[in-house]
Amino acid sequence: MSAIEANAPNVAAVPAVVSAEPWRRRAMRTLLYGNVDRNAKARARVGLAILAFAAVYTVIAARLVMFAVAPESHFVRRGVVRDAVATARPDILDRDGLILATDVRAPSLFAEPRKIIDVDEATELLTAVLPDLDATELRERLASKRGFVWLKREITPKQRQEIYRLGLPGVGFLAENKRVYPNSAEVSHLIGHVNIDNQGIAGMEKWVDGHGLQALHLAGLATDRLQKPIELAVDLRVQHALRDELIFAATKYKVKAAAGLVSDVNTGEIVAMVSLPDYDPNNPKQANDPTRINRLTTGVFELGSTFKALTIAMALDAGKITLNSSFDARVPLRYGRFAIHDYHAQHRVLTVPEIFTYSSNIGTARIALAMGVEHHKWFLRKMGQLDRLRTELPESAEPLVPKRWGELNTVTIAFGHGLSVAPLQAVEGINALVNGGLLIPPTFLKRTAEEARALATQVVKPSTSDKMRYLMRLNAEKGSARQADVPGYYVGGKTGTSEKVVNGRYSKTKVLNTFTAILPADKPRYQLLIMLDEPQALPETHGFTTSGWNAVPTAGKVIARIAPMLGVLPRFDLPPADQLILAKVRQ
Amino acid sequence: MRMILRILNVCVVVSLVVAAAYVYEIKFESTLRAERVAKMGGDIRRERDAIAALRAEWATLDNPARIQGLVRRHLPLRPAEATQYDQLDRLPERPPVIVQPPPVDAIAAVINSPDFNPLTGSVLSQTERR
Repeated sequence: MSAIEANAPNVAAVPAVVSAEPWRRRAMRTLLYGNVDRNAKARARVGLAILAFAAVYTVIAARLVMFAVAPESHFVRRGVVRDAVATARPDILDRDGLILATDVRAPSLFAEPRKIIDVDEATELLTAVLPDLDATELRERLASKRGFVWLKREITPKQRQEIYRLGLPGVGFLAENKRVYPNSAEVSHLIGHVNIDNQGIAGMEKWVDGHGLQALHLAGLATDRLQKPIELAVDLRVQHALRDELIFAATKYKVKAAAGLVSDVNTGEIVAMVSLPDYDPNNPKQANDPTRINRLTTGVFELGSTFKALTIAMALDAGKITLNSSFDARVPLRYGRFAIHDYHAQHRVLTVPEIFTYSSNIGTARIALAMGVEHHKWFLRKMGQLDRLRTELPESAEPLVPKRWGELNTVTIAFGHGLSVAPLQAVEGINALVNGGLLIPPTFLKRTAEEARALATQVVKPSTSDKMRYLMRLNAEKGSARQADVPGYYVGGKTGTSEKVVNGRYSKTKVLNTFTAILPADKPRYQLLIMLDEPQALPETHGFTTSGWNAVPTAGKVIARIAPMLGVLPRFDLPPADQLILAKVRQ
Repeated sequence: MRMILRILNVCVVVSLVVAAAYVYEIKFESTLRAERVAKMGGDIRRERDAIAALRAEWATLDNPARIQGLVRRHLPLRPAEATQYDQLDRLPERPPVIVQPPPVDAIAAVINSPDFNPLTGSVLSQTERR
């Protein structure tokens, strides 16, 4: 149109140029078409045609460009089952590549309420196929004005087929990734679990989210299942053996809770970690039960005599005492209105190895007092016992350290009362005592010995470490750990029985038993921690509830099962500790 | 001049038709291929999902707790003890072979020897021929 208007002044400007035709005809034309020049009119028409065609071709070209930019837009909507938003997670494998967690596809049912024609009919038909759907709630959802509502997450392929056959408009399926844990409760606390949207909310699953996966999800890039799997340090078979024996022990000694941990002394890797009662990550509702917490990382406990190893190592490392030093344990140690007794009282002067094997409270307290409060505090802090230990697991607990640490605190902490730490922390400390003096932060991921050495700090001298190995082995030969001395594996260990605090007083009957074993003691590779909460006395334990009667035999059974899996070769006819380990120290 | 223009026109029209047909052909082909790619992509994803499901099932069946239950129910096996393990280099030497080597065939040895020169009744020996 604008072209004609633009040409109009030209027409008016040149009326007199062409007038060769006879006047009659001209008058006729003027009557018929008005007083307009014919040539100018023709030119205007051609111009209009050019413009129209140009417009059409522009539209075609634009459409072509649009097709080129979004080439397959019409393929995507074709399938019945569409892909859900990015929820794929990488597989989690154990150290040998066995699957601990993986994704499978499951269809989920959704509705677009605006497209639904008959809400009542749809409700009726859907509840017939999915009887566990609540009819009133379903009707409410379908009648809402929203564009999209989930009806049921993760339905079976058979249900999907049936609903598909109903032919309801406005009802569709999305394929969603569903996390499955093939080993159910076996690795529960370690691996954690995910919520319905496949986001990690506990354990290593949460760690995975925190390390890049969440960013991938937000960017919408994690739809593919070709993500690199995550390899953990845990060994599924060792984990199973440990859990199996702990379940057996838990029923036998009727404990409230049991926990076990296997760690690689030289790399800090955690090869197995069990805390009973545990839960099935496929059904994570159980995880909210407070009795099912992970006692090894989330709980703090007074670990009892296990701490004596730290006290004695502190004094040996400072050079204040030697293995031949002796301390007076004839009478209970009086401190103010408190008296420290020995459980296996010998009523004589004890040497350092005797203090360790008889687990003398008096002797250890005297050693700690000789070192002084400040040195004791400094050493425990250096060993990582006073600060919160952080690992890949999101759950961790702060140790309960006395606010005002006087001599009395040093006396009791020397034998493991008055300071509560997470058991994993104690494991880290004991590892440092026996691996040559390197404090290595524990990890749930695979780590080589070189990587561990780069992270480690030297906390005690290698010679102190040798002496601790000797004491631990001696305890398995002569002391309270005899029942864990599995022939062939040269086990060493330290028991711990701590009285639990009930109504503000230490109870005589409710105890928390621990046992820390190292194998093989002459050159340790693995540490095993067994913890039993409130074991009951049995006829075969002769009425005793101390660690040597329940935690130690349990550890013995575990060691017999896991040592071959861990590649610890059995050796027989090894000389006793004085010759094999102590001779090396004396040289 | 007009003739040339006319021929040129015809040529252009023909080439236009050919070009259009060719473009249509390419477009058609590419649509087919794109559809095939999409279908194959779908197939691959389905296969991968199936593999993942099977792997998950395998892991469930392979779970140590399940195997242990089955073994306890059906087999007389017990956990191996430390005495049942040993190292390869502590194995004793392979015992000497006590089986006698096969006896030598006396006749075959004579026949195979290089200076075997048989005398038979029908054939004259070399000395007799002379």
